[in-house]
Amino acid sequence: MFDRDIWQEIFFSIRNNKLRTFLTGFSVGWGIFILVMLLASVNGMKNGFTNQFGNDAANSISLFARSTTEPYAGFEAGRKIQFKNSEVDYIRGNFQGFYEYISQTVNRSISARYKQETGSYNVIGVNAEFQKIEVTDIEEGRQLNELDVKNKSKVMVLGRLVVKDLFKEENPIGKFLEVNGSTFKVIGVFSDDDDDRAERSIYAPYTTLQRLYGNTSNINSIRMTYNPNFSLAQALDFSDKVEYVFKRKLKISPEDQSAIRVRNNADGFSDLNEFTGLLNTMSIGVGILILIAGIVGIGNILVFIIKERTKEIGIRKALGARPSQILKLVLLESVFITSISGFIGMLIAMGILGIIGPLINAPAFSNPSVDISIVITATLVLIISGLVAGWVPARRAAKVRPIVALSSD
Amino acid sequence: MIEIKNLHKSYKMGSNSLHVLKGIDFSVEEGELVAIMGSSGSGKSTLLNILGMLDELDEGSYDLDGVPIKNLNETKAANYRNKFLGFVFQSFNLINYKNAMENVALPLYYQKMVRKERQEKALKYLDQVGLKEWATHLPSELSGGQKQRVAIARAMVGEPKVLLADEPTGALDSKTSYEVMDLIQKINDKGNTILIVTHESDIADMCKRIVHLKDGVILEDKKVEQVRASEYV
Repeated sequence: MFDRDIWQEIFFSIRNNKLRTFLTGFSVGWGIFILVMLLASVNGMKNGFTNQFGNDAANSISLFARSTTEPYAGFEAGRKIQFKNSEVDYIRGNFQGFYEYISQTVNRSISARYKQETGSYNVIGVNAEFQKIEVTDIEEGRQLNELDVKNKSKVMVLGRLVVKDLFKEENPIGKFLEVNGSTFKVIGVFSDDDDDRAERSIYAPYTTLQRLYGNTSNINSIRMTYNPNFSLAQALDFSDKVEYVFKRKLKISPEDQSAIRVRNNADGFSDLNEFTGLLNTMSIGVGILILIAGIVGIGNILVFIIKERTKEIGIRKALGARPSQILKLVLLESVFITSISGFIGMLIAMGILGIIGPLINAPAFSNPSVDISIVITATLVLIISGLVAGWVPARRAAKVRPIVALSSD
Repeated sequence: MIEIKNLHKSYKMGSNSLHVLKGIDFSVEEGELVAIMGSSGSGKSTLLNILGMLDELDEGSYDLDGVPIKNLNETKAANYRNKFLGFVFQSFNLINYKNAMENVALPLYYQKMVRKERQEKALKYLDQVGLKEWATHLPSELSGGQKQRVAIARAMVGEPKVLLADEPTGALDSKTSYEVMDLIQKINDKGNTILIVTHESDIADMCKRIVHLKDGVILEDKKVEQVRASEYV
């Protein structure tokens, strides 16, 4: 393969057919260029969608209780369903290994006062695991811990904007906040990348809120993350199972679609994966169709070159060249032209992506780029294209009969 | 060296069949210098092609140095040509983008000799035809006589058993022709077996044996007193 004589001949034949080689090489380079750009765009769409999840756990599942819409088990339709702590305990007891983190939430609207400043906020009662499900950054102080939850402590972690409203320039840590007539100690401040709504809320132990407001075990929702090693199908299967047992447990008709609302991120991901997978396939299809034009072009130029060199091939055969050696020569030339032009196309595409890619950051389209798998795919496609393009001319060259070639003066 | 018995060859021309060689019995000993003569259509080129394994015989037998030549596939024929035969053509048939030395080295390349050895051997053979200083010149920079001498060096470099020359002087003026014949005679003097197809009787007279072909049969096969080409140079 790294035989100087073979390369000398390949370069000679390219030199003698510069324009032809350039034109056909261009069509292959163009095909690869379009293929890479299409695949990079699909990547960009995928990045865009993924970014929209922010830094919250991508594997989260949320369960909300609503009202029934179907009569069942002696109950009329329209019965309000209420989740309680026991539902969370049930999942903890029966779905070990399915979930990663789990927390109930207890939501309350409150008005809070510090000195002269007051405001209305949403307090979310959670346990210590919640920070792993909806990820926030602690700016000052600390997060809620298990002890706070166990002791039903009257402590709060405030969103950055709550602190801005109520404390102005003051350091809130250790200060006391008056909330609906009781006092809470501020233990931390969190931020949540540019999510104003989240930064205007407050976290407290769910146990504390349940004790203060009616001393019940009612909860508003169940939030969890599924085992990160799960496939999307396993994740969806998990939330389906939970929904099924809860419907039985709470006497809800299996047909009732709205009494329990389940939001599983795997749903979105599986749709997204399906969608981008389809786009990827389509891109490869379009790219290959364009490449075929290039392959035919290269095959065409090689047939022409072989015809021109029939006599030379005849001489070589008279001197003892075996058909396999002639075959190899032509195939190598074909693979060489396709690979070089393809790589040029790929480099141009990657250069353009490298310059404009990082500049693009729309909600649904961000940083279109190529990864190593695209490069490997394109390389394989090119080598195979070269072999396909060279096959017919190479066979023709190998079959040249020296007697015919030598007499064609 | 060469042993041919009852050789027949015909070509299909549409529905007709053209019987070109009609039973040739012919043998050549080692060290002979044979001229095959005949007018065009006499079958002399066909005979040379069959001897050169460029074409297949229909009937009869052909032994080369004791090896029966029959039913060769392309690869085997290529190997035999490379090992047994050297070719010299009327139109030289040098490869125009390779210099003299690379042209001479080509048969060695197909023998899979390493590059350095190839070049050394090619230079040695170029020296023998008096063109060592022209080694790096392309064929387009050589005269007709020089080209044919490069072609002869290329034919001899693989140390073949038989040198086959098809009208080697056909494209040369008479002075250059005699120079080439002088070279061929000298190669023959060293004991090499050489067959020359020609229609020029002065060239044939410089061989040791003349075979006359007419209409596909041998008309005459005689040993002659060799005329030395050096007398004319």
